[in-house]
Amino acid sequence: MNAENQSRKRPAWLLWSLATIVLWGAWGLVSKVASNGVDVYANQLLYTVGLAPLMIFVAWTVHKRTPGEKTEGRGRGIFWAFLTGILGGLGNLAFFQALVKGGEASIVSPVTALFPMVTVLLAVLFLKERLGRTQWAGLALAFVAIYLLSA
Amino acid sequence: MQIWLGFAMLALVFWGITGVTQKLSTNSISSERSFLWFCWAMVALSACVMIVARPQWGLGKVVVISAIVGGALNGLGAWTSFRALESGGKASIVISLISLYPLLTVGLAVLLLHERLNWHQTAGAIAAIVAAILLSLEAPPKAEA
Repeated sequence: MNAENQSRKRPAWLLWSLATIVLWGAWGLVSKVASNGVDVYANQLLYTVGLAPLMIFVAWTVHKRTPGEKTEGRGRGIFWAFLTGILGGLGNLAFFQALVKGGEASIVSPVTALFPMVTVLLAVLFLKERLGRTQWAGLALAFVAIYLLSA
Repeated sequence: MQIWLGFAMLALVFWGITGVTQKLSTNSISSERSFLWFCWAMVALSACVMIVARPQWGLGKVVVISAIVGGALNGLGAWTSFRALESGGKASIVISLISLYPLLTVGLAVLLLHERLNWHQTAGAIAAIVAAILLSLEAPPKAEA
C-alpha cells in the first residue's frame, strides 16, 4: 500500500518541481524586462503587489489548518521566517540593481542561483553540518563559474 | 569588477543566508506559516522602501505588469517548491532539479531578449548550474562512533 502511494505521489513532486523551474526561470526574464524602465525600489513594491494574491491564499490555508498545529516554538519560527523575508527582500533589491546596472538576465540568473554556496558555508559554520565530497566539488565549481561568468 | 556583478554577489549572499534562516524557521513552524511570515516581511520592507527611498513613479504599462508578474512568479515558485517537497519528493532530488531554473532564464533571455553569451559565459552558466546541483545534494549521514 505504501509503495503504491509512493509511486502515485512521484509524479506530483516531479510536476511541482517542473512548475518551479518554469516559474523561477520566467521570473529572471520578466525581472530584466521590468528593470529596463523601473528603479529597484518601485520594482520591489510592485513585486510585493504581485505576491499579495498568493499571500491571501496561503493565509487562508494556514488559518484553516491552525487547530491542528503545535504552538510550541511558534514565536521563534515566526522570527526566523520574518528575518528570511527581510533578507530575501534585500536580496531582491540587489538582484534588481544588478539587472538595472547592465547585468544580462542570462548571466545574473546563473550567478545568483549559486546562493546555496553561502547557505552551505553558513550551515557548516553555525549549524555544524558536514559537507560531502559532492558539495565540496560544487563549492569549488561555483567559484570557477563566477570567474567565468564575470570574464 | 563590473558593478552589476557586485550587486549579483550581494543578492547571492542575502539569499544564501535565507537558506539557513528558512531552515531554522521550518524547524519550529510549518512551511506555509513560514511562507506567510516571509510575505509579511516583504510587505514591511516594501513599506519602508516607500517611505525612505521614494521610488520613481510614472512607469510604463509593460514595466508595471512585468514587475507585478515577477512577484507573482517568484512567490508561486516558492510555493510550488514547498509542494514538491511535501508531495514526497526527496529534498536532494527536488532541490537539485529546481536548481535547473537558470537554464530556462538563459534560454528565454537568448531567444526573447536576444542576449548573447561568449564562450566564457556559456561555460560559466553551465558550471554554475552544475555547481548549484552539486551543492544541493545531501551530505552522507555522520558515521556512528
